[in-house]
Amino acid sequence: MKRRNFLKFSAAAGITPKRCLLPFASDLFSFSNESNLSKVEARYYKKLPDREIECQLCPRFCKLGDKERGYCGVRENMGGTYYTLVYGKACAVHVDPIEKKPLFHFLPKTTALSIATAGCNVNCKFCQNWEISQVRPEQITHIDLPPESVVKTAQKNNCPSIAYTYSEPVIFFEYMYDTSLEARKKGIKNVVITGAHVNPEPFKDLLEVVDGVKIDLKAFNQDFYTKYVRGKLQPVLDAVVTASKSQVWLEIVYLVIPTLNDTPSEIRQMCRWIKNEIGPDVPLHFSRFYPNYLMKNLPPTPISTLEILRNTALEEGLNYVYIGNIPAHEAENTYCPHCGKIIVNRTGYLIGKINIENGRCVFCGQEIPGFWS
Amino acid sequence: MSKVIIVRTKNISKSNKEINSEKLNNLYKRGFHLLTGFKDSKNSIKTLLSTDKKTGIKINTIGGRSLSTRPKVSLFLADHLIKGGFQEKDILIWDRTNRELRSAGYRLNMNQGGIKIFGTDSNTIGYDKDLTVHRSIGSRFSSIQSDIISQSISLAILKDHGLAGITAGMKNYFGSIHNPNKYHDYNCNPFVADLFDTAAIRGKHKLTVIDALTVQFHKGPAYHSLWTENYGGLIMSTDPVAADYIGWQVIEELRKKHGLPSLKEENREPLYIKTAEELGLGSADPANISIIKEEI
Ligand code: SF4
Repeated sequence: MKRRNFLKFSAAAGITPKRCLLPFASDLFSFSNESNLSKVEARYYKKLPDREIECQLCPRFCKLGDKERGYCGVRENMGGTYYTLVYGKACAVHVDPIEKKPLFHFLPKTTALSIATAGCNVNCKFCQNWEISQVRPEQITHIDLPPESVVKTAQKNNCPSIAYTYSEPVIFFEYMYDTSLEARKKGIKNVVITGAHVNPEPFKDLLEVVDGVKIDLKAFNQDFYTKYVRGKLQPVLDAVVTASKSQVWLEIVYLVIPTLNDTPSEIRQMCRWIKNEIGPDVPLHFSRFYPNYLMKNLPPTPISTLEILRNTALEEGLNYVYIGNIPAHEAENTYCPHCGKIIVNRTGYLIGKINIENGRCVFCGQEIPGFWS
Repeated sequence: MSKVIIVRTKNISKSNKEINSEKLNNLYKRGFHLLTGFKDSKNSIKTLLSTDKKTGIKINTIGGRSLSTRPKVSLFLADHLIKGGFQEKDILIWDRTNRELRSAGYRLNMNQGGIKIFGTDSNTIGYDKDLTVHRSIGSRFSSIQSDIISQSISLAILKDHGLAGITAGMKNYFGSIHNPNKYHDYNCNPFVADLFDTAAIRGKHKLTVIDALTVQFHKGPAYHSLWTENYGGLIMSTDPVAADYIGWQVIEELRKKHGLPSLKEENREPLYIKTAEELGLGSADPANISIIKEEI
């Protein structure tokens, strides 16, 4: 039963089982020993009177009494000191193509050692990885994988980057941050796959130690964030702008959910905002929705909707607009915005010839932004 | 008309220390009598529960030894059920984790004869594989609640709660799902009511007993001795909403007595109680609640 479930989960999450490095993945849904959770003091919190604390890592600002956990379920107040319970406790470890994150302008054709812990600071009704994101760490199996071991595992598997992904890396901030520092020492890059529901200070600190960030922008209105994400939009937009102004490579993904966030007018508004605030060169991926978790009543996104929205984004002047979750769609390719030729050919995770040299289109010399080598 | 019993006695325990057994026993005895009209356990228990069904007593042990349902309180309740015709093996005292049960002073018993005591995280128990999706809820139930038991008693401790306003009988069931941390926004409203409205709870819940022996009336749910009162009471009702409503009034009364603002003034009125009434789960209207108070 459990093995079958895991395979189902892997397929849903797009994880290739043979590249799964978690040694006891068949037990993914069993209990971990609670005493095996970490007890590492959390960062970004304030001590309050009466053994209370306020977590300042994300815009929820959870205020908690003794023995209580935050919304994310992975941080606990123990006697007035706040601890992360998931430091070095990876519940998913896989080697993935970097394109799966998706990051299309970041070390193409390479793999990323991809790790996650349990927990998330929002509760998207359409979550694809809810079996790990919407549980407490003691409710699933994890392995002890301290930062040095993550880096060694990446080296052993010839991964030039480590991706913090699947659940929500903001909630395992300390683990991600320390691993990133360790990875840097060994010349390994770090990429963060996040909903960016995070406060400015920790996010700025994080950007100092990572190389790429993919941000899921789930809609362009607060109403959607309130109803379907249970979070706030503005901090996410702020994080997008902050990332774009940093040295870190940024890509944006927008999951298109039929009838809920798919109106061309909203997309047009969002694209104008992106162009004005960030510029036309940030890659934008429109991703296809598949029914899952608490949103099984809607159909998969029609391909025509994705194509209409992509055209809207192109009309608004964005240069790199992709369609995701539809393998072999022509909008998986990268086209040179100057000469229009295909410069990176993609079919799912199969990457053809890359016609970019020294960051320029080989056909016309146009500069193509990205982290190419 | 919903009936809520408040039975109280003086000096039953000093703070969270040892409980006087005789006094506790008398509270239960009198409480069941007033609730059912029957003096003897056999008849009183039978009017409330089917004595041949596996019955869960959901307790609350998150507060450690200082502020949890103490073993004596749940074992004496179990004892009354047995006197009423239950077999020991059909009674299960439970909560989320064995660690919390142990730290509240419980001795676990999963496989031996007698009353069973264990947590959802015991081997072979766990949470349902499938989500229960109902109104605002999307959760996996403890298989104790969904599968093992067929009727349920909420034996909750009465506490002030920084987010929910108060925690009592209905919110106690947050401990029967895998993701209670996701339901504390908006003063837990409508989540507490929506969770109670699921078949696994609404269909099985038969009785609320609120442990108000020691009440944390401020700064809860954590234990702060400064804001606890030896109230020495049990609140009992077959109406889960009315029981919580009266528990709330007790907290307000104690807050007033100690010069604290009301929960409304602190912006954390437990609105989920009203929502529960709107869902038809019981009464939150004092005009429809008959309160029987007795000092023993
Ligand atoms: S990181 Fe977790 S505990 Fe901290 S504010 Fe966010 S949800 Fe709350």
